[in-house]
Amino acid sequence: MVARAKTLSADEAFLKRLFRSYYEKWNEKPPKDFEKREFAFMMTKEGEMVRHKSFSEWSEVKEFLRRNAPLHVFYSSAYYLNPDAPDMDSKEWLGADLIFDIDVDHIPTPCKEKHDTWTCLNCGFAGRGMPPEECPNCSSKRIEVKTWFCDECLLVAKEEAMKLIEDFLIADFGFSTSEITVAFSGRRGFHVHVESDVVKELDQRARREIVDYVKGVGLAIAEGRGRVLIPPLTAPGWFGRVSRGVYEILSGRSIDELASSLGLKATKKFREGVELLTSSLERAEDFQALPSGLRKMWKVLVDKAVQEKRCEVDERVTTDIKRLIRMPGSLHGGSGLIVTKLSVKELETFDPLRQAVAFKKGYVKVRVHEMPEIRFLDDVWGPFRNEVVEIPAGLAVYLICSGNATIVKGGVRAC
Amino acid sequence: MMFSKVDAAKYPFIKLASKLVEDFDQRLGLEVIASPGSDVLKRSVERIREAVYVKSTSFFREDLDVEVLSYPLALLIVKAVGDSRLFNLYAEAEKNRVFLNMLSESSSKVVALARDGFDWEVLEDGGKLKLKFNNYLEVAPALLDPYWKLVNRSLRYGYVEVSKRELARLIAEAFRSKILKRIEELDLSTVPGFLKPTVDMVRNEVLSALPKADINYEVSEFRPSALPPCIAQLLKDAEEGKNIPHMARFTLATFLISIGKRPEEVLEVFRRLPDFDEAKTLYHLRHVAGEIGSRTKYVPPSCATLRTFGLCVSPDDVCSKVRHPLAYYKLKLRRIQHGGKGKNAVS
Repeated sequence: MVARAKTLSADEAFLKRLFRSYYEKWNEKPPKDFEKREFAFMMTKEGEMVRHKSFSEWSEVKEFLRRNAPLHVFYSSAYYLNPDAPDMDSKEWLGADLIFDIDVDHIPTPCKEKHDTWTCLNCGFAGRGMPPEECPNCSSKRIEVKTWFCDECLLVAKEEAMKLIEDFLIADFGFSTSEITVAFSGRRGFHVHVESDVVKELDQRARREIVDYVKGVGLAIAEGRGRVLIPPLTAPGWFGRVSRGVYEILSGRSIDELASSLGLKATKKFREGVELLTSSLERAEDFQALPSGLRKMWKVLVDKAVQEKRCEVDERVTTDIKRLIRMPGSLHGGSGLIVTKLSVKELETFDPLRQAVAFKKGYVKVRVHEMPEIRFLDDVWGPFRNEVVEIPAGLAVYLICSGNATIVKGGVRAC
Repeated sequence: MMFSKVDAAKYPFIKLASKLVEDFDQRLGLEVIASPGSDVLKRSVERIREAVYVKSTSFFREDLDVEVLSYPLALLIVKAVGDSRLFNLYAEAEKNRVFLNMLSESSSKVVALARDGFDWEVLEDGGKLKLKFNNYLEVAPALLDPYWKLVNRSLRYGYVEVSKRELARLIAEAFRSKILKRIEELDLSTVPGFLKPTVDMVRNEVLSALPKADINYEVSEFRPSALPPCIAQLLKDAEEGKNIPHMARFTLATFLISIGKRPEEVLEVFRRLPDFDEAKTLYHLRHVAGEIGSRTKYVPPSCATLRTFGLCVSPDDVCSKVRHPLAYYKLKLRRIQHGGKGKNAVS
């Protein structure tokens, strides 16, 4: 036990030193109205969160970070009259940014089978891919998850973020790109911040309507007992989105593929229905009645279109008007990567294991417990399993922060 | 658009109406305006009576000054009577009046009312009206029907398409909230002594005519056939020993406790869950029941929250009348007890 405590502290000392060197040169611009926000920090992995901090000068924030080199830095999405008041009531809420959280943890991706593992802490049963809610062997909920972030995950998260920004925030809600900032979350996703007077004072109910909109919750387009209408492809909001989605599904594949993907039989009637629906969608300039006999097929297609067009965001983050969110520009203590601020344009080409790397110089000797093959900066490393290797300092930080490696004695050289 | 005194009398939320009231107040003072036997005082009381008996106030054309001045005075009297049932009833009646009045106005007039009264951003685009989404969301979540849910609206470039009638409905709803907020903020110490006889008279007359009680969720009968579909489903899942998520457990526990079950009884419901731990579960149950901890008795989430968390399943026709699972239960219970359809539980 004593030896273990010692290695931990060596890791922590190593991280502290590097984090401090990062914050010494740190020159990030302040977020909007930072003096009205609450700041919160975690200094160590196990320590308590230091909360209810506020700063009237941006230089004080820099000084605080330099002096303390915290592992995690957060600020409130909310603006307060008294951001440093110790309880929420006396803070006096003035408004809040609108925040969306896109996290690959919540999106099933095929690559998870390759790099994610989970273990039941109760019976030891283990598996690969998305973790189950409970252990299939003993039904315990105590499941430990080991996840990695690969290029495929990155692509999925980016697509989801682009969909949110372009299809919903810009096209439907009418925000301009200057009101939207994206930040790499530091782990497996992106945070999308909307800073605008239009959203500032929206209450929780209003924000829930926005989340439901983005996720397509409560959509009643194919519902109802009365006449069902097909919206034209160009209709605003979900109406046009659903029609476009259905049209893409209908036109993207052969009739047999289509039928099997919908779980229907490719009968003559099905074929005729597809043709009728396709031509109706192509022709329509206004809402028109659904041809008779196609009700079931339309419903199946709409459901599928909604699945493809909806955006997977964490509703808890968006509806919480007093949320603490990672400060863009700070380091994520669970990965050592920079919570990188990105414009909408930069998002497309963003590569975290290149652009979010804070420590690009030097090599460190570490014992890696386990790591799949990882492309880091310009080289490919691993896979490693329980071995001592000399790797770039940034990669070592990444592994130590995520609990996958420890520093070996005398392993730190100049970096 | 320029508004006239008729507009100010019809739509007390426009700036001209407040200005007229302020001018009168400065020139004459409340004592003169509302003196015993004055037309303004009479009309104020009449407005309140109309609200209670016919659920909508009328429009008194004979003297526009009286009409304009009677609105703030009626609010003051309503506040002094001090019954929240009356607050709601009065706000509802004024809402109904402005809504009906707006239906006979032109589109541009309704748009002007939205802009002047609530600073809403409205575009007139060809024959279409478009309302900025944040203004829409100030009131739409309070409207029950899925029809008003943002996801089912035409939203483009930040604006929601609305018809004239829909815009009028939204304005009326915004007016209703504004009235409630104003009543809440009114300072009772500004009610002058000479109004006391009027206030007492209104209180005596009106209280007996008010609905029996505000909706409260105190029900103490367990009747499975009255359970809303969401709760029935959760109960079934729990009984079958399915592993249900946290939000679902919270909903089920708070619901059962709210309708009068004891934590020890609810414990039995959770017994078949795969990760059941008697001591822990009982602790949580006693906590949400307010027996231990912060002593706050928790109530189940609203329908809107349940929808967001995907717990709203196969809603029926009763669901469309309520926005809370406990309101469903009360309504259904009453229907079962009275054998007929009963009255709508939600005002």
